[in-house]
Amino acid sequence: MNESALERTARALDLVPYLLEHQGISITELANVFGVTEKQINEDLVLIHMCGLPGYTPLELIDMYYEDGYVTVSDPQSFKRPRKMGRSEMVSILVSLDLLKSMRSDALRNEIEELQTKLLSSLQFENPFVVVQDFDDSPLLQDLERAISKSSTLHIVYLSGNKDERTERTIFPLEIYRANQATYLNAWCQTSNADRTFRLDRIISCEVIGNSDVSGAPGQKDLVLEQKGAALLINKSARNFVEDNRAIVKNIEEVSGSEELLVKLNPVDSDWLVRTVLGFGGGISVKEPLELASDITSRVQAIQKVYLGK
Amino acid sequence: MSDNKTERLINLTLALLATKRYLTKSEILENVAGYKGTQEAKERMFERDKDDLRSLGIEIEVGDLDVFFEDEPGYRIPRKSYELVVPELTGRELALISIASNYWNDSILAPSAQSGIRKLQSLGIPAAVDFDFRIKYRFENPTQVLEELSTAINQRSKVTFSYDSTSLKIRHLEPYRVLFWNGFWYLIGMDLDRKEIRLFKLSRLVSGIDISKKRNEFQIPTNFEAAAFLPKSDVAVLHRAKINIRKDSALILRNRGTFIEQDGEYETFELSYENEITFLRELIWYETNIKIIEPVSLQNALLALLGGVVK
Repeated sequence: MNESALERTARALDLVPYLLEHQGISITELANVFGVTEKQINEDLVLIHMCGLPGYTPLELIDMYYEDGYVTVSDPQSFKRPRKMGRSEMVSILVSLDLLKSMRSDALRNEIEELQTKLLSSLQFENPFVVVQDFDDSPLLQDLERAISKSSTLHIVYLSGNKDERTERTIFPLEIYRANQATYLNAWCQTSNADRTFRLDRIISCEVIGNSDVSGAPGQKDLVLEQKGAALLINKSARNFVEDNRAIVKNIEEVSGSEELLVKLNPVDSDWLVRTVLGFGGGISVKEPLELASDITSRVQAIQKVYLGK
Repeated sequence: MSDNKTERLINLTLALLATKRYLTKSEILENVAGYKGTQEAKERMFERDKDDLRSLGIEIEVGDLDVFFEDEPGYRIPRKSYELVVPELTGRELALISIASNYWNDSILAPSAQSGIRKLQSLGIPAAVDFDFRIKYRFENPTQVLEELSTAINQRSKVTFSYDSTSLKIRHLEPYRVLFWNGFWYLIGMDLDRKEIRLFKLSRLVSGIDISKKRNEFQIPTNFEAAAFLPKSDVAVLHRAKINIRKDSALILRNRGTFIEQDGEYETFELSYENEITFLRELIWYETNIKIIEPVSLQNALLALLGGVVK
């Protein structure tokens, strides 16, 4: 809330050269670019307008005019070029380029590398961040990117892990993102008439069927999964469960006097939870709901029977 | 109050940037708008302002004694040190940087990346091409400490933090590098208690990070290769397994396996895997729809895992 005079100074020093290169920009856009309110930008501009060189006659002041919410600078005085970058600015940019690079195997990779070398050559900063990632580039990645930019409709064949089904769907791809170790596609799924997330490595084929918007015609609804909140007792050996599933964790408590965590989850698909718990071999036990705990026991017995007979 | 100070700092910067020769303190206090009060108050104000501008990364040069001004030092901001100098960037390169910095999303480094980009956008590079991709990176793990760690590494200051592990909760470290690996952030450095280089997962930090007030407390070994300290996964070793899969089930498994033969109600597939526990978790997903045939060790591992669940 209470911004320091220093932060404001820093912004003002950056505003003038930015305006010089974006003559006639709107206050709204300026506020957006600088991540502050329009009121704040207006106040900044009034203040900058009063600054200048000793003498402080109109000729020596920073000269700008704003009209109907648009700003133009006619005399920036000494602020013609932007200030040099600070260490954290430079480092953030370099690391984001590293991340972008790690996600691509196409020609862009080399292009980014050249850009990084170029930036580093002029700016003597030690970069404390190292991005190590062997990104398994999905062959579909570039097709999907193109489909998003062209607003294409796609026909995909998808293997659903949860329901162990092979489904064919008509989708309208919206966004690709990477989280933890996998790459996902967010899309409007016409077949289920809802937003759906698909893992790229489970899309087994993908074909452009049109470049128009998906009609809102109701398709066949997906099965509604049973979702319930749950409380788990997690041994520290199994804590990567928490790290990998942070999005569904509601609350974590340390259990005093033990090496366990009491973790409360937001509603999740019970079936998913049961199968995940099985994979941790006792590192996770379900406290609530109780029926889930007994479900787990009976499923374990069923699997054991496959190997050991009765 | 904040207005006055901001205004004075801007005026001071302008004056020191515009001057070719050094300005003496008395010239500054007399001519730059905003210095008010007694001589002493003005001087104190000026001292603080200098410190403030320096904390913004602005270099104020202090001039040699000047014959005309006896022992009064002079000040100026050399344009060369103030202004951003980067090699000529193309519009395409600028667009790449903008896209890349979108990755930061909600992370603590986002504001820094954004202000850096604003500076690049003030260079008059013609805006050009737009790329036809918009991948996002979602950091599902806390990244609040990145900025602090970056500072500590840069200053070569030791850090102390609580770490969630079974032994030795408080760690003292000479931080070397921050690593992003497989979707997680790690800190690597010389563990001062164990006297060896260790890796810490940032999501397991229990407390915030204390940074020592001292600087230059250690050196990072020359040619330090952080990636060399990552645990080696047995990537090179691919194990083979024979799995029986019931008809029309375990589709994802079938998709990446090779069909071998029919075996009663099952179909036998050959599958390769790197990591046993990861593979078991994948297999367990299909419960009674699959049966591990080979290797026996994998079958035993599965049964041990299940035994643990019902224990």
